[in-house]
Amino acid sequence: MARLFGKRPQTRTDWSAMASIISAEQKLMARGEISPSRRGGLIYRNDESVPFLRNLKQELDPVLYSGPGATKTAFEIQDDEQGMRWIVMEDGDFSDLVSSVYTVGNAMGANGAASNLLAAVFELYFTGAVDDNSFRSGLRTYWIYRYDRQSFYPFVPTGDATGERDKPTEVSLASRARRQGMVIERNMEEWMGLWGIPF
Amino acid sequence: MTSFGMRRFKRDPGLVSRMYFTMFMLGVLYAIFAIVLWGLSFPIIFIGVIVGAFALFQYFMSDRMILWASGAKLVTAQQEPELHRSIKRLADRAGMPMPKVALIQSQVPNAFATGRNPANSLVAVTTGIRERLTERELDAVLAHELAHVRNRDMRVLAIGNFLVTLTSFLMTMFFWSMLFGGMGGRGRDNNGAAILVVYLVTIVVYFVGQLLVLALTRYREFGADHSGAEISGDPGALASALAKISGQLANIPDQDLRKLQTANAFLLIPVALRSGGGASLFSTHPPVEERIRRLRELERRMSFGMR
Repeated sequence: MARLFGKRPQTRTDWSAMASIISAEQKLMARGEISPSRRGGLIYRNDESVPFLRNLKQELDPVLYSGPGATKTAFEIQDDEQGMRWIVMEDGDFSDLVSSVYTVGNAMGANGAASNLLAAVFELYFTGAVDDNSFRSGLRTYWIYRYDRQSFYPFVPTGDATGERDKPTEVSLASRARRQGMVIERNMEEWMGLWGIPF
Repeated sequence: MTSFGMRRFKRDPGLVSRMYFTMFMLGVLYAIFAIVLWGLSFPIIFIGVIVGAFALFQYFMSDRMILWASGAKLVTAQQEPELHRSIKRLADRAGMPMPKVALIQSQVPNAFATGRNPANSLVAVTTGIRERLTERELDAVLAHELAHVRNRDMRVLAIGNFLVTLTSFLMTMFFWSMLFGGMGGRGRDNNGAAILVVYLVTIVVYFVGQLLVLALTRYREFGADHSGAEISGDPGALASALAKISGQLANIPDQDLRKLQTANAFLLIPVALRSGGGASLFSTHPPVEERIRRLRELERRMSFGMR
């Protein structure tokens, strides 16, 4: 019944979905709802048999720092306790950060590692008050972009143990972000957490 | 499909289907009764009077019928002092008489208001909603229900439902007259084609009527959110109550993304399978998300002293 008059599912490109966090971030910033943040990253399943992944650090240097799309985004590779590898990135300009994460993900996808990509993650700091916008003040929230779903969802861990998350806050943040045009995953059953994000 | 004066806060399939079933059976009873009278060649005016009397009976007895159908028990101020105090305070602030208070023994979080006018109204809550919500959130929910009473939503809905019931009754009559044309020996012109046309028109009117009543209900729901927030002065509390009891939170998994078994199928799952919003024409309540969005907006405006 619900489908009968529901919206048609829309097809969209990878980039427009991921880029939706850029304009949402700008709008939330203009409304004083968040303070500046500059970190994001990618999580992937490492596979030494893929040459690109084996030499990732060397491969990413030209991808990020040369050619017309050169950026100032800094990156660092870290392993987590659950056997996954993270590319943690930092850039003072949020839109540059997002495009760098996208570029890296694209490069991995184009070099035989598409199925290794799990998610991209960005942090946003939600302030309670309009006048409180010093750097990284407020509630730290993560915005997980799942490559298989091409959409974002909020993640607010309350501890490092699996299952510890602030669900009511996540629901309300999701509707705030959606209002600002961020592409939010509608099926909440897909809002899997990532405990112990290394940034 | 009548639910005279029944208002609820949140979809609760068990409770709601029981109420609807009860009302539906009453409708069937009308129809059978009227058809029997008609079959026995009673004059149509007489049948109209009887059916009208039934409708009035239902209208005035709706409180008791809903109590019976929902399993709600009236509670006194001695039995439930806190609940009474909250409702009294909110009713005073809304400038309306104190409604009767009822409690439903159920873990399902829910609340509803009923009554043909503010002087004969009733507010019922389940034990489940009282356990799950904070005091502020429960007050916001009670204010929402009082707003339904003050806006006389039950009467609006009752009239809408009555018209729909009437068309469904006519529809049934035409159906039987098609099957047993001329029953009762009245010797009427049995113009089958004309009856068929009238029958089809009645069906269309019936379904359009249903959709209109549902649309009206959703519209009144936003209205009750708004005026309820003015009564409680706390739109944010209603928004968080809605988020809490809508069952949305239960959908958020406790699992880690890294444990996802289908990880190797990434990028192969078509985006088209993504589940959509699905705001349906057939739902009585607007999507919780949209209600929360409007309440948050109202909260923002109220915090700046604007309405």
